Amino acid sequence: MSSTPHPAPVRRGTPTVGRRAFVDVVMGMPISLHVKSVDVQRPDIAAAADNVFATLRKIDDLFSMWRADSELRLLQVGDIAAGDCHPWQGEILELALEAEEVTDGLFTAWHGGRCSRGGHAAYDPTGIVKGWAVEKAAEMMRVVPGIAFCLSAGGDLVCGTGQDMVGRAPAWLIGIENPAVPGSYAGSVEVVLGAVATSGSAARGAHVVDPRTGDVVDRPGSATVVGPDLVWADVWATAAYVDPVEAGRLMRIRAPEYHLAVL
Amino acid sequence: MTRWGVVQVAITVKGGKITRSEVVQVPWDNPRDQQINAYAVPILNQEVVSAQSAQIDMVSGATVTSEGYIQSLQSAIDQAHLS
Repeated sequence: MSSTPHPAPVRRGTPTVGRRAFVDVVMGMPISLHVKSVDVQRPDIAAAADNVFATLRKIDDLFSMWRADSELRLLQVGDIAAGDCHPWQGEILELALEAEEVTDGLFTAWHGGRCSRGGHAAYDPTGIVKGWAVEKAAEMMRVVPGIAFCLSAGGDLVCGTGQDMVGRAPAWLIGIENPAVPGSYAGSVEVVLGAVATSGSAARGAHVVDPRTGDVVDRPGSATVVGPDLVWADVWATAAYVDPVEAGRLMRIRAPEYHLAVL
Repeated sequence: MTRWGVVQVAITVKGGKITRSEVVQVPWDNPRDQQINAYAVPILNQEVVSAQSAQIDMVSGATVTSEGYIQSLQSAIDQAHLS
């Protein structure tokens, strides 16, 4: 692979950067992949975008909680042995355990109380899988020279660049939706490399559960976290929506590279 | 409305909008952190808040479902760049 940037028509010393969007629905969510490059019609960009969506579909095949034929659902009903599963199942399980520990249980993949009660709590790692899947899929774009990209899954997103663009890639201005007035912005954050995750109830009604009580968190507002990795940005955003003060305190100690904004 | 969100950035929220932010501390522990922080320190000030939404590149918000997508801010941005 050439290390030189893609040939650019130089105009007043600055190449004109184009922009192209790729959109599809995977995991029941709208996926938006945006690319900035001097030539956004390059076939290698479109091929990498295909790989992004293929990666997301593969992960959905493994981890979907809504499809009875996903590997995880087959595992849960005993139709597949744990030893025959894709190694990613173990990777996600370890992240789920780590997320519960690092958030002191503000985030959990075990609804119904894994620790406090006996019996079988339902393992649902969706809150880990989403961020992890976007990071995994984004790897397909990081090898493409001469681009900056932003990959969003339903409002949680990763910004990145091709390797040759580090230090000179265009930034993405990420608007943070105002939970009090859907369709408007409460603020924005400029990102070149990194992740932005928002947790709240605005878009699909209350769905976040406080693991400490089992109650649905139904307060208005949202929590947004900006940081290096979407898995942890998403985990902390969920934890901060459940308990902004406690999550903020824990983040200062345990995840100082992540920034929190609570609306 | 509330006013807060302090971890590395102190943020003032009035009427559901971020009106002021202040970077409290930026970690510089390893090269990847440096790289990210060089760019990813949030810019959340009055100037940006009052800016036209046309400057927004992408949207972060509570999870948008495929059913809700068509009316979403992200959908409007996508439409402008599909080719």
